[in-house]
Amino acid sequence: MRRFLANTIFVLALSAATLFAQPGSPVPRGPDRKPDLTGVWQGGSTLRGSWEETNAGFGVGGSGKNTDAPVVLSSNDRPAGREGAPYQEWAAKKVLEAFNRRGIDDPTSRCLPAGVPRSVMLGLFPQKIVQTPKEIVVLYEYMNMFRVITLNGKHPDDLLPSYMGDSVGHWEGDTLVVDVVGFNDKTWLAGTGTFHSEELHITERYTRVDKDQINYEATMVDPKVLTKPWTLESTIMLREGTRLEEYICAENNIDPAQYEYLQKKGVKIER
Amino acid sequence: MARWIYCICGVVAATWLSATPVAAHHSFGAEYDVNQPITLTGVLTKIEWTNPHSFFYMDVTDKNGKAANWKFEGYGPGVLYRLGWKKDVTMKPGDRITVTGWRARDGSNWAHSREITFHDGKKLMFGPPSGTGDGGIAPAVDVK
Repeated sequence: MRRFLANTIFVLALSAATLFAQPGSPVPRGPDRKPDLTGVWQGGSTLRGSWEETNAGFGVGGSGKNTDAPVVLSSNDRPAGREGAPYQEWAAKKVLEAFNRRGIDDPTSRCLPAGVPRSVMLGLFPQKIVQTPKEIVVLYEYMNMFRVITLNGKHPDDLLPSYMGDSVGHWEGDTLVVDVVGFNDKTWLAGTGTFHSEELHITERYTRVDKDQINYEATMVDPKVLTKPWTLESTIMLREGTRLEEYICAENNIDPAQYEYLQKKGVKIER
Repeated sequence: MARWIYCICGVVAATWLSATPVAAHHSFGAEYDVNQPITLTGVLTKIEWTNPHSFFYMDVTDKNGKAANWKFEGYGPGVLYRLGWKKDVTMKPGDRITVTGWRARDGSNWAHSREITFHDGKKLMFGPPSGTGDGGIAPAVDVK
């Protein structure tokens, strides 16, 4: 009887789990039974399918399959539906100034790396994750950047400040938790003017909920410019059949010169 | 006879409704004016498939027969490839195309492209939506 009850409960639990499970195929797992994140992904999207299926119509940054849907935000825009970034008063003024200057101070307009979490959350360019039991490598097409996430390791004690930081990861159940430190102060976090100091400390959480989707969460702590931790959530979607292209930003970057030219000409570009 | 067709419909910044963050390398809003949408038909003279952005040039003749060479900006080669573009195949100098986009703030023959319509009626996106990269309609911080 006890066994029957246990079996019944098990079957009921399994049915419930199936009912409430995310759509899609099961999470691929490696020999260590951890979720295998290997693949080419698109940040900032919620749509399932190939790159072509999900980015047609209005084009990348557009509405995917639904060509009537509105155009979308860029990575320079304030993430929609979220509370304002918790900047200290003096720092918020600086963020606002950058917004009013229409983002012409954006480090990426000078071909500098987009940093974290911006590189992860942007959707125009794919990112490729290569997972091994000891380290996870992420290749970002945007600005030809990379990150090496050392698993179960420690940050070196002689870190030089960098654009992408130093990443150390570990698994908490099926969630990859990545601790990122060692940043310089030359990137924007998420949205125009969202600067930070070298004390920036980011905790990322990657949870592959099914074959097609990683739930991404980034919590940013920076006592020099923020009043409290700032958390952003996003999804990263699998794009099978997509390959990374080369992105050499310095090839033909005329934007800084254009800004200067327009300003010299007296054209008002500020809000 | 090529024509200049200025679209007078206002472009609404409907961007707020969706949440997909796109990368934007540069500030659209700094260089281009969302209130000056433009549609031009002409003959392609040159294409630069370069990062971070591609450019193409097009001869446009106005209704008085006066010709001008216009410059258009758009996505880089990788993004165009994933949108279905094939370099030297999809669009070549000599092709007659219609481009929609937004004019540069200085009023010169320079614009940001969005959609290109080919002679057979087929359409492809060459550039991002208006307003891309300029910070959107609200700053990242709440303004008190």
